Amino acid sequence: MAEQFQEPIVEQIYTLNLGPQHPSTHGVLRVLLDLDGEFIVKADPIIGYGHRGHEKMAENRTYKQFMPNTSRMDYLSGLLFNHGFVLAVEKFAGLEVPERAKYIRVICSELNRISSHLLWFGTYIMDLGGFTPFLYCFDDRENILDILDRVTGSRLTYSYCRFGGVTRDIDAEFISMTRAFIDRLRSRWTDYHNLVTKNVIFIHRTRDVGVITPELARQFGVVGPNLRACGIPFDVRKSEPYELYDRFDFEIPTGTKGDALDRYNVRLQEMEQSCRIIEQALDQLPEGSHINEVVPFKVRPPKGEIYFAFESARGLTAYYLVSDGSPYPYRCHIRVPSFGNLQVLTEVFRGTLVADAISILGSIDVVIPEIDR
Amino acid sequence: MSKSEKITQKLQAMLPEDDVCRDESYQGGVVFSARVPLGKLRDAIKEFDEAGYYLESIAALDFQDTFELVYHLNCYEPRARIAIRVPCGHDQSPATVSDIFPSALWQEREVRDFFGIQFTDSPDMRPLLLPEDADYYPLKKTFGMVHAYHKRDEIYG
Amino acid sequence: MGSEMASDWIRIIVGLIIVLAFSQVNALFLVWLERKVAGHIQLRYGPMEVGPHGILQTIADGIKLVGKELITPLAADWKLFIIAPVLVFMPVLVAFIVLPFGENLIIRDMNLGVLLIFGFSTLSVLAILAGGWAANNKYALLGAIRSVAQNVAYEIPLLLAVLSVVLMTQSLRFSEIVGAQSRVWFIFLQPVAGLIYLICATAETNRAPFDIPEAESELIAGFHTEYSGMRFGLFFLAEYTNMFIVSAVAAALFFGGWHGPFGLSLGIPGVVWFLAKVYVLLFVIMWVRWTFPRVRFDQLMNFSWKVMLPLSLLNLIVTAAVLKFI
Repeated sequence: MAEQFQEPIVEQIYTLNLGPQHPSTHGVLRVLLDLDGEFIVKADPIIGYGHRGHEKMAENRTYKQFMPNTSRMDYLSGLLFNHGFVLAVEKFAGLEVPERAKYIRVICSELNRISSHLLWFGTYIMDLGGFTPFLYCFDDRENILDILDRVTGSRLTYSYCRFGGVTRDIDAEFISMTRAFIDRLRSRWTDYHNLVTKNVIFIHRTRDVGVITPELARQFGVVGPNLRACGIPFDVRKSEPYELYDRFDFEIPTGTKGDALDRYNVRLQEMEQSCRIIEQALDQLPEGSHINEVVPFKVRPPKGEIYFAFESARGLTAYYLVSDGSPYPYRCHIRVPSFGNLQVLTEVFRGTLVADAISILGSIDVVIPEIDR
Repeated sequence: MSKSEKITQKLQAMLPEDDVCRDESYQGGVVFSARVPLGKLRDAIKEFDEAGYYLESIAALDFQDTFELVYHLNCYEPRARIAIRVPCGHDQSPATVSDIFPSALWQEREVRDFFGIQFTDSPDMRPLLLPEDADYYPLKKTFGMVHAYHKRDEIYG
Repeated sequence: MGSEMASDWIRIIVGLIIVLAFSQVNALFLVWLERKVAGHIQLRYGPMEVGPHGILQTIADGIKLVGKELITPLAADWKLFIIAPVLVFMPVLVAFIVLPFGENLIIRDMNLGVLLIFGFSTLSVLAILAGGWAANNKYALLGAIRSVAQNVAYEIPLLLAVLSVVLMTQSLRFSEIVGAQSRVWFIFLQPVAGLIYLICATAETNRAPFDIPEAESELIAGFHTEYSGMRFGLFFLAEYTNMFIVSAVAAALFFGGWHGPFGLSLGIPGVVWFLAKVYVLLFVIMWVRWTFPRVRFDQLMNFSWKVMLPLSLLNLIVTAAVLKFI
């Protein structure tokens, strides 16, 4: 459609506010659109409606007390953020973790990744007008939430990981539920592909829509499935392997064109790869303790800093911790993937239709509270 | 020669010897960190742009004697992250790099929101996360409840 | 002469009362049916609380709507704003007069029956435009404009498909069209026209996948954003009654009306056959809504002008040619 877009006549531009309360903006996002008819001339995202001051809170709490905050930044990948924080502090302070705990953390993180992608899938199709897959995805997601509820006690915002391991050990029931869930999810792929992926209306609404070129992605710092859909196979789990990911055999799905359909396909295949990782982890699960008892109550990392990057559901996330030797961090800066992913929209929205804008916004998969922190 | 080695050589040519410290074990998450004076910031960032890096994050640190801006840049190869440290006094204004890396625009707005560091020549310095009429800088160590306020050498010594 | 006129008048009055009652009950029933169909497609039950299996849910919703405050925006054109919901509902009621419910169950078997229905259904487009304009809201105006464009575009292939059937029976009278299908339903003789009619009817009634004018996730609620209380209720009921009308016309024109399959009535009265066909078609329309995502607006217009229109014209020409030479 962008080829048909010509430069607008200034008097005809009118401003529309895609307000903070809107069924399709995921979280409180406000986009000021300058429209010429149905084409978008300029898009200006305005954020900050959910700023809670996590970075300031981090400086006034010990490392352990900051744990619940990590879940609440990106509430859809709460366990992944937990996991990343714990890994950062363990690497910083040089703490040992038993093998079983590492496997448990990997399994729970990958389950969380699948649940985040399932929710994205349902809400994306709902934005486009198909209301039914949303409920199918939530049905699948309930299984994951039940599995994680058994062992962590929470459904959405977890504080399961501890420095040196995890709070509670998993039992045989957890393992059998997880295996049953993976089999069930694999049997659902045919349903999802028949209902959505092969649907001609869906393909027309996502093919060649919102193309992000690799150069644009590099300039704006786009990471995660959006970057992999452009064709660049960059995944932190492969490039800087942390916590046993070098022991598992999984692939990085990539796309070719960088349009919304590629981003959709990449995320669906990522769910399948996560299933593979979970299966291998369950097969390799050793016996042992679930936590390292010798870890001090108040962790005091040495003076210095660490920048630890991990792969959350949305892309490369990093904790930048500066410590002065006391149990309180001196500075904790969190680099979230949605920062770059949302910023690239100012370029991509230019010249598209409003209906396409909703499709692009959904396919980028931003979670606003993680930008607002 | 990998991208990170190329850029290491370029930076070592630009800066004095002891300002570029390598970390082979990748313990701190960076291959090396370079201390770049305020005036040479834009030249260094331009080198990174030409080498095919992307800007990952801009973080600011508040010390008693100075601010310090830390730019983390990364490329798509394994283990290639580089940190650039820019000391910036409490009254100084660094130059913006948003024309080289557009992703810096929002990062700089956030730094200005939290620390009050103004970036010169930036096309957009509206508040990003704070309300439009905010006149306080929350992450400075003179605001609100603060546990510790050190000089830079007490930490990096 | 006098008693004939009197019996005519009695027939009209009784028929009107029955039709009014039926259309209201039908609208209530359809709202409940939609929620149940939606629920079961989405792996859940739908309304279950109010009455057995939630059958009284619509009445509860109606009472709620009647009790709400009728808000008129300050800068709105209040005359148009108040008239628009009434204007939307009126034409669909008129269409009930000519529907062939059974062999002798047509209130007024006009010789222009088909034309009457389509003439009046175009009036509702005006009402949507009035409603969207009068609300003084950018979103409502966008929704109204899109709705008018969509309705106008899909009206033409719809009428051409109907024209193909009319060519075969050489009459616009409903009783004659249905009577001509006593052995073979027209859907088997004119499958293309039937398909075009069903697609265009879905677009005419603003149902998904063509529900851009009320696209929830894009424009909040489209042209009825600013309406509250029973005014919104009227728009809502008018949509469902409109659905009934287009399904009834499809049943009469393509699926044999009050005839059973192959002319066998199997002891079941014609009106039951007719209503069964109408409700099956309604179920299909609802089924389609909950399965497909929404079509983008320019793709919708392209589809109408570049695909539907040539296809229906071709169908008309082929029908005329076959009738001439056979």
